[in-house]
Amino acid sequence: MRQESRARRPRPAIRNVALILCAVAGLAVACAGRETSAPSADRTFRFRIREDPPTLDPARAIDQLSEAVLFGLFRGLVEMEPATMTVRPAVAASWTVSDDRLTYTFRLRDDVFFHNGRQLTARDVAWSYRRLLSPATGSPRRSILEPLAGAAAFVAGTTSELPGLQTPDDRTVVIRLAKPFAPFLSALTLVNTAILPAEVYEDAGEGYLRAPVGCGPFRFVRWEQSNFIELAAFDRFYGGRPEIDRVRVRIIENRQSALQEYLAGGLDSLDEVPEDEDPIAVTLKDEIHRYPFIGTQFIGFNHALAPFKGNAALRKAFNHAVDKEYFHRTLHGEPMANGIIPPGAPAHDPSLPGYPYDPEKAKRLLAEAGYPGGRGLPPITLWYNTSEDMQQSMQKIQADLKQVGVDLRLKSVDWAAYLAAVEGTRDRPGEAQMYRFGWYLDYPDAESILRPLLYSSNAGPAGNYSRYANPRVDALIDEAMGLVDDAARVQRYREAQRIAVMDDAVWLFLSYAQSKTLFKPYVKGIVTTPLGEFRIPIDRLRLEKGPA
Amino acid sequence: MTTYLLRRLIGLVPVLIAAATIVWILIFFIPGDPARLIAGSRALDPEVVDAIRAEWGLDRPAPLQYLTWLGKLLRGDLGTSYIQRRPVAAILGDHFPPTLFLAVAAVALSAAGGLALGTLAAFARGRLAAITVEALALIGASTPVFWVGLMLILLFASRLGWLPVLGYGDDGAIIPGTRVRLPELEYLVLPALTLSLMSMGAIARLTRSSLGDVGAADYLRTAAAKGASRARVLVGHALRNALIPVVTVVGLNFAGILGGAVATEYVFAWPGLGKTVVRAIALRDLPVVEGCVLFLAAVAVLVSLAVDLVYAVIDPRIQPGAPGGPATSVR
Repeated sequence: MRQESRARRPRPAIRNVALILCAVAGLAVACAGRETSAPSADRTFRFRIREDPPTLDPARAIDQLSEAVLFGLFRGLVEMEPATMTVRPAVAASWTVSDDRLTYTFRLRDDVFFHNGRQLTARDVAWSYRRLLSPATGSPRRSILEPLAGAAAFVAGTTSELPGLQTPDDRTVVIRLAKPFAPFLSALTLVNTAILPAEVYEDAGEGYLRAPVGCGPFRFVRWEQSNFIELAAFDRFYGGRPEIDRVRVRIIENRQSALQEYLAGGLDSLDEVPEDEDPIAVTLKDEIHRYPFIGTQFIGFNHALAPFKGNAALRKAFNHAVDKEYFHRTLHGEPMANGIIPPGAPAHDPSLPGYPYDPEKAKRLLAEAGYPGGRGLPPITLWYNTSEDMQQSMQKIQADLKQVGVDLRLKSVDWAAYLAAVEGTRDRPGEAQMYRFGWYLDYPDAESILRPLLYSSNAGPAGNYSRYANPRVDALIDEAMGLVDDAARVQRYREAQRIAVMDDAVWLFLSYAQSKTLFKPYVKGIVTTPLGEFRIPIDRLRLEKGPA
Repeated sequence: MTTYLLRRLIGLVPVLIAAATIVWILIFFIPGDPARLIAGSRALDPEVVDAIRAEWGLDRPAPLQYLTWLGKLLRGDLGTSYIQRRPVAAILGDHFPPTLFLAVAAVALSAAGGLALGTLAAFARGRLAAITVEALALIGASTPVFWVGLMLILLFASRLGWLPVLGYGDDGAIIPGTRVRLPELEYLVLPALTLSLMSMGAIARLTRSSLGDVGAADYLRTAAAKGASRARVLVGHALRNALIPVVTVVGLNFAGILGGAVATEYVFAWPGLGKTVVRAIALRDLPVVEGCVLFLAAVAVLVSLAVDLVYAVIDPRIQPGAPGGPATSVR
């Protein structure tokens, strides 16, 4: 009996303690608020990328993740002015171009230093360009310098001479092309043409991959894999020391977590913005920066497979069946695409009619294609890379096509399986009859979208996944590449586009890309650019409302 | 004991080879060309892809690729990542410590919390206590880790601002003699709590049940009759004997947490091995997948061995390696 009465005594005490704890917790939750966002004390700009960059070697970089870091570390002869998309001096103070557009003479600045303290000379430019061209480097962007005279033999390994690249003195670089290449200066703005110090990048152990050295506004400090990359302002940057002291590139894959980190003040900028109908987006509306992104989103048709092979009427029917304005109004806010070349590229043609939403016309074209009401169509599968956003878009397309009698299957797979299905091999098409894709231009010239995606010799894994082939389009692209007159080039590109879009309906055109980026109100000096959020120049940013 | 340990360690080798072989076959035969993924945008040039295949031996027949890989493995070479172009051993060195710290913290929290709750429930003895513990176990087992993590972030980081949202911190101490940096404690709390909740309820339920099983033993009645308080009877005498099954579960949990921390690492941007493996699978980075699987399998087996040794500490009557197995060997 004594034990039982002792056992009963603690219960009220435990209950009371629990009640008090709950009350305290409730009070704390009610009273606590979110931490006020404020810049970090030492002027560190913090932004996020989804994953570790595949490489920090500018010669090998081809992706936005790498470029997000590399554009802070490196500079080339010239750079792209982000707002106006015009080429401006960088390491080169000035340049001249011969009338035949074959010879480019660059005069270098005399105040350019690498992060290791050594002054940059013309020999560094020559060394860097030879490295970019060298087969041993295996650069995916070797093609930037392939127009140089003698580059073909150099790349083939039959000679170590490169007559198209000369350095008559420490401050002069002379580049001679084998034939005119109109977008050459634009191509030189890519980060792959960064000027590198030979003494660092000759390291056989490739230590520079973990400790890059350039001449850009920021120098490398450290990289903790899957955690962050840190850069620091370079005091001797020729353009003046940035106002930002440090850059912290945080690696955060999950988008909800990244958003919470931004809201809590752990990030100064975020590339993932909530959709417009999300209540958080409403509270953040003054922090959202929207701007065009020089790219095009589309659904590719496989022209080597039934039922799209040789059937332009069917492809046009699909185009008219899909309400592309819906993507703009409801889903992503991206403007409807009327063609291939996006706004921001000189050959963009706003007068191209494209394919407005017209289900009745779609039905007539289906009948013309031999499939009235969709009857007789073989099973068609639309492949896409797994993602929640993409699933919504693909389901919308499926629903629209259903309205005109087309039963479309959707297949979502990871990136590796998706590529295998879309690309196929050189000789055999992939199994994907339709595939969701997007293409972003590296520089504002239509060549960088038309050639890889439409040129017949690039059919298959080389980029023309649709296996589209039209000799007239090939000829127009070839002509444009050799022209020095900008207006004439634009006219050729537009004609090639008109054929591919209005005659052949090469793709199901969806939208032109748009960027949305969050910036805290205390971040100033933001220069948005159609080249994308990771090309916004960090060295021009400043953080206000914080102690120096 | 020494013989038993040696036997267990030697037995590790065929287990690891079998596990790695299964993974090798699975990864090899799923769609996707590693050469194209290694090439990245250079894949637009078929000659580049062919050269990569030759460089990495991906153009050889599957049995030859397997034997080459096995040969390297037996020489202690885990290979080089196709994508990162770094030794797999270096990648493990970078990413395993954060996962280990997280797993240890989560297991410690789940064990401590589970034992405390289970003992409290046994102490309270009422139906309400039983229901509470059962509910906690059910919630912990059925609630997605991803959701729990986000809820904890919303409450403790976003709303209250008590803890950071995510990350590992950048000022943790470096372990002397290594390049391994410890996480800052405030960054460890939420991910460890998230992971621990999965099993805390189960441990609480098991503790309560085990204490109930031993509760009727004669030696406990003797202790109580000699004047020991109920708390001393439970904690000082009964709990130790009830720990055997609990230790088993904790040990199994550790192995499970090591392999299953990927969702937590994803939510909290924790630079651990789980995310690394998932990304390697997506990119068909076979050497990294193999290396991680082997490593985690080895750790799981070693943890199992450690659990067996802990039995002997808890109950000296148990001799690991004696006939009948460690759980039933009594002198």
